Amino acid sequence: MTELSKIRNFSIIAHIDHGKSTLADRLLEECNAIDRREMEDQILDSMDLERERGITIKARAVQLNYHADDGETYALNLIDTPGHVDFNYEVSRSLAACEGAVLVVDASQGVEAQTLANTFLATDAGLEVLPVINKIDLPAARPQEVKAEIEDIICIPAEDAPEISAKNGINIHSVLEMVVRDVPAPKGDRNAPLQALIFDSQYDSYRGVIVYVRVKEGTVKAGMDIKMMATGAVYKVVEVGTMNPLGLTPTDALGAGEVGYITASIKNVADTRVGDTVTTVENPAAEALPGYRQVQPMVYSGVYPADGAKYQDLREALEKLKLNDASMSYELESSIALGFGFRCGFLGLLHMEIIQERLEREYNLDLITTAPNVVYRITKNNGEVMMVDNPLDYPDPMEIQLAEEPFVKVSLMAPQEYVGNIMDLATSRRGEFKDMVYLDANRVELHYEMPLNEIIYDFFDALKSRTRGYGSLDYELIGYRPSRLVKLDILLNGDIVDALSFILFADNAYPRARKICEKLKENIPRAQFEIPVQAAIGGKIIARETIKALRKDVLAKCYGGDITRKKKLLEKQKEGKKRMRTFGTVAVPSEAFMAVLKLDED
Amino acid sequence: MALLQRKNKIPLGIYIHVPFCRSKCQYCDFYSLTSKKECDFDGYLEAVCTHIREAGPQAPDHIVDTVYFGGGTPSFFGADGMAAILTAVRKSFDVSPTAEITFEANPDSVTDRLLRRLRSEGFNRVSLGIQCDNDDTLKQLGRPHTYEQAVQAVKKIRKHRFRNLSVDLMFGLPSQRLQDWEKTLRNVLRLKPEHISCYGLKVEEGTPLYDCQEFYNLADDDTQADMYLLAVRLLKSFGYRQYEISNFCRKGHVSRHNLKYWTGGEYLGFGPDASSDFGGCRFAIVRDLRAYIEGISTGGTVLREYQEVAPRERAGEYLMMRLRTSSGIDPQSYEKQHLLPFAPLEKAMQAFKERGWAEKTYDGRWHLTPEGFLVSNTIISDLLLIQERTKPLGKR
Repeated sequence: MTELSKIRNFSIIAHIDHGKSTLADRLLEECNAIDRREMEDQILDSMDLERERGITIKARAVQLNYHADDGETYALNLIDTPGHVDFNYEVSRSLAACEGAVLVVDASQGVEAQTLANTFLATDAGLEVLPVINKIDLPAARPQEVKAEIEDIICIPAEDAPEISAKNGINIHSVLEMVVRDVPAPKGDRNAPLQALIFDSQYDSYRGVIVYVRVKEGTVKAGMDIKMMATGAVYKVVEVGTMNPLGLTPTDALGAGEVGYITASIKNVADTRVGDTVTTVENPAAEALPGYRQVQPMVYSGVYPADGAKYQDLREALEKLKLNDASMSYELESSIALGFGFRCGFLGLLHMEIIQERLEREYNLDLITTAPNVVYRITKNNGEVMMVDNPLDYPDPMEIQLAEEPFVKVSLMAPQEYVGNIMDLATSRRGEFKDMVYLDANRVELHYEMPLNEIIYDFFDALKSRTRGYGSLDYELIGYRPSRLVKLDILLNGDIVDALSFILFADNAYPRARKICEKLKENIPRAQFEIPVQAAIGGKIIARETIKALRKDVLAKCYGGDITRKKKLLEKQKEGKKRMRTFGTVAVPSEAFMAVLKLDED
Repeated sequence: MALLQRKNKIPLGIYIHVPFCRSKCQYCDFYSLTSKKECDFDGYLEAVCTHIREAGPQAPDHIVDTVYFGGGTPSFFGADGMAAILTAVRKSFDVSPTAEITFEANPDSVTDRLLRRLRSEGFNRVSLGIQCDNDDTLKQLGRPHTYEQAVQAVKKIRKHRFRNLSVDLMFGLPSQRLQDWEKTLRNVLRLKPEHISCYGLKVEEGTPLYDCQEFYNLADDDTQADMYLLAVRLLKSFGYRQYEISNFCRKGHVSRHNLKYWTGGEYLGFGPDASSDFGGCRFAIVRDLRAYIEGISTGGTVLREYQEVAPRERAGEYLMMRLRTSSGIDPQSYEKQHLLPFAPLEKAMQAFKERGWAEKTYDGRWHLTPEGFLVSNTIISDLLLIQERTKPLGKR
């Protein structure tokens, strides 16, 4: 066990794209934690998806042994956190495992919405926040102004903040020295009853779940019987140890102040929830560490295999993904239109996209996903309260006494010249203006309350395009409010396609219904007969388009015997047919479902 | 004796791609060059002739029964070059005395001298690109000739005793109405060609037309369908038999060369971007004249694509190609050749028949109707999907 005074636990926080993962890479290099030849970009982001998108999805911790200028060797535990609002709870638990946070701020962009949001999370957790100005080698860098911004807006001293370039390895050493100097050493009594905070867990097919913990009090060793305080699950510890950049290193024990892992032949990540406290059976702690809550999915969507025969494959893939991601939920759902599939719950839209992409990539599945929706709270006339996460379960309007939808508090930040655009956008999304704060002469933060439903589709994209990329966004749930809701049904050739039904705000129904019908008309191939596409609320048709009968689909010329080209075309058409679902008599390609999801793009 | 030997030989088609044009038509996506700098006639001629000489020994058991000069505009390339290439073909391959030897021509480059020379070399079929009878439209499409020039070209072709003339026409052209198309057809019928090809304009990516299609008043699918059906009816009433989706002819004047493409015959292609189906393999030459010349002169490869065609793929091709022809598919020979059951396809064809897209002949063959030809991609891709899911016939 490392002496408490030689341990520093910290994480790096930043607005997206300000260089968090790149700085982590440089810190690893600086501590010679990995050979150059094993170094790759964003080494802590081990998923392909994370690398490609340049985002961190899963928290990751690593221990660095740093020989500081004072001659001592320190164990620096770096806990990398996800950066997206969808994962706010995970971030808060990772932060609770640290004593300090390095706040990376882009020298040209300055303070942004998530800079603020993440700093607040860190200060709420009682962390020492240490600003670092990154990308100082960019021509547009304005380190002095950004420092002033940090002091003005976030109210933390920034005068001595290191000016670095993570990309080009400038001044990295000073960041490490600052961590040693300014991050408080952890406290704790290694003889007290065990309290270890779970900040992440991961499933390994050989060892079972690997639980990542920060020991707050006491000591944990192999052979101990441990208990998860929230779930009550009990296990015998097989191994404890610390995380190196390239793997796990077993140790004899983990004591208060240390960050490490525990394996205990745990079969299910659901037993090791992020935020839960690990204690011993023999000498249990009096109470769990504060801040635990069970994460609830915010967004639901139906996920179906494009090829109905692949249902079992999808089930297996979801089971495997769930092993590593306790925040996702799924349950069997069957649609008349799409057959068997799953109703999946996600933390947010990014989370949903990530899961879908992983299913398609890592498990080679073709998916059809239905429109995402939030969870509505419906009170029926008989007093029964339902939480509706699936349009198919939406009760008959006659039975509804009160319909409510979740609202969020949104903070939007941008240069002031875009205030008009942001206001237009927020108002069009049913935003209720709360207040507006000038952060400095140029930057403004606006606060709105609006339905979660309005931001889950494409709000972020719309904000970016209306602010030339300068706008940033953060939101938190504030509860349910009464709303006027309707269920919109789509009919093809007179039959309701249940998978296309969704719940929305009554006033939005007409324009949206028209758009959906148009999109479907564009995306459903003409058949040998005319197909009416209709949208209806209850029994009332509110929009209609007609797909004319197919009359021409032919390749005229086959020049000079170039049959290969023709063959490829027909092969492609044939493959496309496999991705079609037949509803009654109408074949609908999976692209049509996608198109319906992306209504607001034009 | 020689004749007896020939009887057992395998028929072979030869295609020569001549990648030169006076000007590029707006809709054309075939490989052809127009600028003086790029048009290396001599280099091309030498490469093609060398290529032909090298390929000849590969086909000792074949007899060439069709030769086709396509392009590009072979008539623009000129009679001497074409004659030289045909001579190379005759020297390297066994060319049947009754072979169909076609060249493509544009009305502006058909001269008495060219026709005289080619006729004397043994060319016996001309495929003339007329496209339409409206000079404004021709100009808009970038065609380098008028309709009157086309009429004069036909006269010259007849004068030089070419008894097998084919004309190419297009429908769905900018601003073309149904009645305009009918007028084109009626005018062209007066020229009494033995063979007519009618192609619906297709806007191909990468062509000038593609980039500015919204500025042209192009016919929609429904109008194109009406135009097509009009052509089928009108040509039939004038005694032209439709033997393939886009091809019509007087009795005995099918394009024997093109028919090879639809019926699985073997053919060898020479010149850039030419395709071949020979010895169980399909291959295609690079779409680049300089690379072709370079490759031939250094003995390097000139192919951009080469694949052996698996039996299962041949079964797909059978449906794909045969259904383009009016003789269609034959369940018995399908099962015999490809060892796959026809029953699932029969069921699908029955369904198409009910929609008026297919017909069954008294001897059990299936072929598409004109309405069926119009949606043949839909039909064929359906059949391919069904075929993919069938298991080979077990040995009895």
